[in-house]
Amino acid sequence: MAVYFFRRFLLIIPTFLGITIMVFVITRFVPGGPIERMIAQAQQMQSMPGGTGPMSAQDGRNQPLSEEQIEELKKYYGFDKPVMASYGLWLGKVLSGDLGVSTRYYDPVWEMIRERIPISLYFGFISMVMVYGVCIPLGIAKAVKHKTHFDNLSSIIVFIGYAIPGWVVGVLLLVLFASHWEVFPLGGMISDNFDSLGLFGKIKDLVRHTVLPVIAYVAGSFTVMTFLMKNTLMDNLSSDYVRTAMAKGLPFRKAVFRHALRNSLIPIATNFGHNISIILTGSFLIEKVFNINGMGLLGYESIVERDYPVVMGILVISSILLLIGNILSDICVAVVDPRVRFE
Amino acid sequence: METDVILSVEGLVASFDTEAGRIRAVDDVGFRVRKGKTLGIVGESGCGKSVTALSIMRLLPKPSGVIEEGAVRLEDMDLLTLAREEMYHVRGKRIAMIFQEPMTALNPVHKIGKQMDEVFRIHFPEMANGQIREQTLSLFDRVGIADPGRRIHEYPHQISGGMRQRVMIAMALAGKPDVLIADEPTTALDVTIQAQILDLIRNLQDETGMAVIFITHDLGVIAQVCDDVVVMYAGKIAEKAGVQDLFHHPAHPYTKGLLLSIPRLDGPRKKKLNVISGMVPSLYELPQGCRFENRCPYAMAVCKSAYPKATRMNQGHTVCCYLYPRGH
Repeated sequence: MAVYFFRRFLLIIPTFLGITIMVFVITRFVPGGPIERMIAQAQQMQSMPGGTGPMSAQDGRNQPLSEEQIEELKKYYGFDKPVMASYGLWLGKVLSGDLGVSTRYYDPVWEMIRERIPISLYFGFISMVMVYGVCIPLGIAKAVKHKTHFDNLSSIIVFIGYAIPGWVVGVLLLVLFASHWEVFPLGGMISDNFDSLGLFGKIKDLVRHTVLPVIAYVAGSFTVMTFLMKNTLMDNLSSDYVRTAMAKGLPFRKAVFRHALRNSLIPIATNFGHNISIILTGSFLIEKVFNINGMGLLGYESIVERDYPVVMGILVISSILLLIGNILSDICVAVVDPRVRFE
Repeated sequence: METDVILSVEGLVASFDTEAGRIRAVDDVGFRVRKGKTLGIVGESGCGKSVTALSIMRLLPKPSGVIEEGAVRLEDMDLLTLAREEMYHVRGKRIAMIFQEPMTALNPVHKIGKQMDEVFRIHFPEMANGQIREQTLSLFDRVGIADPGRRIHEYPHQISGGMRQRVMIAMALAGKPDVLIADEPTTALDVTIQAQILDLIRNLQDETGMAVIFITHDLGVIAQVCDDVVVMYAGKIAEKAGVQDLFHHPAHPYTKGLLLSIPRLDGPRKKKLNVISGMVPSLYELPQGCRFENRCPYAMAVCKSAYPKATRMNQGHTVCCYLYPRGH
């Protein structure tokens, strides 16, 4: 088993290389980028009153930067070399722990990501606790009470949550609870007067800012997990070994919890590692709706602005997390299911 | 009630709700199990053998399976009217059950020892952990599991099918039951293991004096282990008899057909085996009359009217067939 996991860890290397090469090459060929932005900025400067005048701005072909300047910029950003050569340079820097500098803010990429990790972790962790904390008990209750009013009603609610995208839920919540009734704040992580509040006040303020985004985060994730739990548990409840447990004289409730439940957690465990990467990367749309400066929003903006070092930096972190998450899933499965032996 | 009867089933009707409506899987089934004796229930797939067994245990799959009528008496106690909590003390303690598929009947994620200990924990809560382990080991030894000290730490997938069935038997014996229901316990095993398991059940029965209900489709197994036999067909009882009577003087055309379809060592070589032509009627569209009528070589007009009532052939031998007028 140790050998298996060692091999899995080694396999991270080629997978990681594959992912990064692909995205790196794509960033080279899509239109836009730092140099084009520089040119646009320079054009704007010219067209502003007090610049060289409206004449030159009207002339679209007028190039504000000279060929030499552009070459210099290309050199600065590393665009003068062939793709693979600059990929090699980038990779070398990454391996030495340097993710580069944002082409938009000129801040180190790692600093920008590190600032946002706690925010994403905070929401991700709460969402995950909510999802597992609600879905597992709800799935169990629905399986045991299959086809009752409770089961049908909860299915309807859960499916409505699934049908509406998280950010739409977010907008609806904002309209209702922040604008119409004004029970919760409109967005952000903390109020402006946060520093002047006492400890209790700070916690209360944070919680008030957390409620709506978390609901938007989890509304859609309930369905899959709840039904995964319900359906696997129902499969297991009708299995032979649960009948054996009942035939031994075990009350139904105990047969569910002692026998059927652990077997039903196997598919849930398979999902676990995958969720870890979701926690950190978050959802940019929900972060945008609630004005939360998490990883999701950073990633979204960096793509829109062609801030490639940030795009690549986030890619590095999220792909490594996903790869490790997959291995964690395997470990989780091996822990709950003794039949699983990775050789 | 006769004093030597430990368990009796009377007029049992069990149904299933399906998408296409309610079907009667077991219709008006009754029999008696004598103390320390073995009753065989024989019939082909879908004839209601297993449903009868599960009804006795009140373990029909819920919510589709329903016991509509009848009584199951364990000595003087009607199991079908017992409170659910009281039934917990019957299952595993007074009546134990082993199943056809030893591959799936054990929980794959619990160690064998733990699954065995559980029976003691349920029915003998006063026993200390050490005592329970001791009992588990001695029972494993008794059912012929070699090296029980090592086996208790293994998971079901690590041992063979025959070994798993031995574990099931050990679990069934743990509560020292009055009745053991064995639902095709050897069907999934190969022939040599089958013989070993049959021997084991018989020996344990001799030691403990428990009664056994043996469900099978294999008449050879019936001949080896049973004292009394019930032949079922399409949810109904066709014939009940002592094992000698049944094999030497079968009365029901279905029983006769079954016995003729067994290859014999003393018969002429390369003789074609007898086949009962036709198909078992679907439980969705059961005929009004005798359910074997469409396949019966002796079918008469009266057979289509209603299911024949039981005719008593002699002591302990009854048959449901119009060939034998009542009061015979």
